[in-house]
Parts: sequence; structure tokens; C-alpha cells
Amino acid sequence: MNKELENKFLSDFETNQNIVHKVCRIYTTNQDAHNDLFQEITIQLWKNYSKFRGDAKFSTWMYRVALNTAISLYRKSTRTVKTQDITDYAFKIKAEDYDETEELQLKALYNAIRKLNDIDKALIFLYLENKAYKEISETLGISQVNARVKMNRAKDKLKKVLNPS
Amino acid sequence: MDLDKYKKAWDNQPEETNKVSKVDIYKMAHSKSSSIVKWIFIIGILEFSFWLILNYFTSKSSYMEVYEKLNLTTFLKITYYIHYVVIITFLYIFYKNYSAISIMDGTKELLKKIFKIRRTVKLYVYYNLITFIILSIIVNVVIFSDSNKLKEIFKTGSINISDSSFFTIMLVTQIIFLIIFLGLFWLFYQLLYGILLKKLNKNYKELSKLEELN
Repeated sequence: MNKELENKFLSDFETNQNIVHKVCRIYTTNQDAHNDLFQEITIQLWKNYSKFRGDAKFSTWMYRVALNTAISLYRKSTRTVKTQDITDYAFKIKAEDYDETEELQLKALYNAIRKLNDIDKALIFLYLENKAYKEISETLGISQVNARVKMNRAKDKLKKVLNPS
Repeated sequence: MDLDKYKKAWDNQPEETNKVSKVDIYKMAHSKSSSIVKWIFIIGILEFSFWLILNYFTSKSSYMEVYEKLNLTTFLKITYYIHYVVIITFLYIFYKNYSAISIMDGTKELLKKIFKIRRTVKLYVYYNLITFIILSIIVNVVIFSDSNKLKEIFKTGSINISDSSFFTIMLVTQIIFLIIFLGLFWLFYQLLYGILLKKLNKNYKELSKLEELN
């Protein structure tokens, strides 16, 4: 592959890397696993970059590759976490710009998502990222009707974890 | 309760502070993948090689002399040729399925394709086990149908046991060997693929749930 393409890939990736970090945060529970999954996603993105024709947005393409890697290719278990307290390794947050209540809500949200199964994680993630049902159903390879039903169930599960009673 | 306030917190979350630099992205992109698909591919190749090597050595071993005495050489040669054609076909299908894997497929389709590579290898192993069993049966039938030959081949003059107990010992030994062999094989596969595919099976099931809505 030529240098120009490689440079384009590197700068596109660098700009959009936050998407991959978010995926790693919901599918892993410690920094080592985060880095490991990040690396595998990077390998898959690069390996398939020549097939990315630019008819879709780079970020859209990234969502799909990142989620598929986490759900289908990543070897280490991304099994759901049962314990209540998960180390908030992933929150190296610039706190000065960030509202404290929202910070707590965000932590609670991440912890709750991590307790869902792999597919529900993907559904909730795509919902939070404002993806349309068309894109969600295409990403997961299921019908839109099915995606809607599954989404509602995933949201219910998430609400239960966030607010048990 | 609705998710709106959490959604807002999500939208406002700051970017990762631990940004990965271009240099590191480059290094990562060129490192070796350890994906499940890659493992299935490597294990598949090892299995193909295992049976090929096993076949090669049995065809070269002194066992062939036994077949010669039984007039089975031509039969076995033909079987081997057919066998190689079948193996090449399997390898071709295996490779085709492997290259059909695309990360850009929908998750469900991708999982299906991964199971398909695995299925090729599974069929290949079944094929080998079945040929192994059928050949054993044929050879045994030929051997046991001619007691003189049987004695000539296997029985050394010094051992003094009756023909019938000799038959029994031969038969029981062979059956026990076959059962142990198959049992170990089965266990090995259950463990190997069980571990590799557990997560994928679970995710596939989850995606297939409620499929009747389509």
C-alpha cells in the first residue's frame, strides 16, 4: 500500500480514535485489555482500509469494524461483569471542563453498560452515539424491526441496572 | 425513569486524554493479529497437516507389507488417490470460506461466516475419522476371513494359544484401541473449539433471538 494512503489512514484514525476508545471502554474492564482490544481493532482497520472506498464516512466505517472486532474477533472474553464496583480506569477525564454530576452519571452509565451482554452493549452504544435504526440494523446484520425490539429490551435492561428497585 | 440525563452525560463526555499518537497507531497497525478467526485458520491448517502427515507415514510404514500379504495394495493405492483429491477439495473450500470473511459484513453475517470456516474443518476431521473406520473394518474383514493368513501375519510361533482366543484378543484389542482413539479425539475438539467459539456462539444466539419478527 502506498505512503499517501497510509498517511491518510493515520491522520483519519488519529482524529477519530475516540470512537475506538469508547468501544474499548464498554467491552473491557481494565487498561491492559483496553489496549489489547484497541490494538486488534487498529490491525483490523488497517487490514481492511484498502476496501474502504470513501463512499461512507470514515467514522461510520470505524464503528462497524470496531464493534465487529469486539463482538466476533477479539479472543479474550469480553464477558459481562457482575460485580458492582469496577475500577474506573478509563476515566482519565479532564475534570475542569466537566460537570461533577454528569461525571458521576457517566461513570454509572459505563458501569451499567459493562454489565450487559455483547450485543446489548453494541445496541446501547449505537443509541448513545445517535445512530439511526437503519445503520444499527445494518451494522448488526438484523432487520430494523428486530433491531427496534432488541433496542427496547436493551434499554430496559440498562435502566434496571442503573436504577435497581 | 428515562435515559435522557445519562445520554446527555454521554454526549458531553470529554475525549480520551490518553491519545494514541500516529507513530503508535502505525506500530499497532503493523503488529500481529490474535483474532479468533486467525486462530481458527491456524488450527485448521494444523489439522490438515496432521492428517496429511499421518497418511504419509502410514503409506511408508512396514504396515504396507501386511497389506501386501493381504493383496490389498492396489485397493489402498486407489483409496489414497481419492483421498488426496478430497483433501485438495477441502483445502480449497476452507481457503474460500476464509477469504470470504469480511469485517464489513453485518455482525450476524460475519459470525455465520466464521462458523462456516470451522464447519469445513469439522467435516474434514469427520471425513478422516470415517475413512479411518471404514478402512479398518475392510482390512479387518479381509484379515479375519482368512485365519491362516491372520496367523501368518500376526501370530508368532512361540506363543501358544488357541485360535479362538487369539481371534478374541485381536478383535478386543482393536476395538478398545479404536474407542480410546475416538474418545481422545472428541475430547480434544470439544475443548479446543469449545473455548474458541463459546463467545461467538453466545453472541450469535443473542442476535438470532426474535428472528421470527422478520
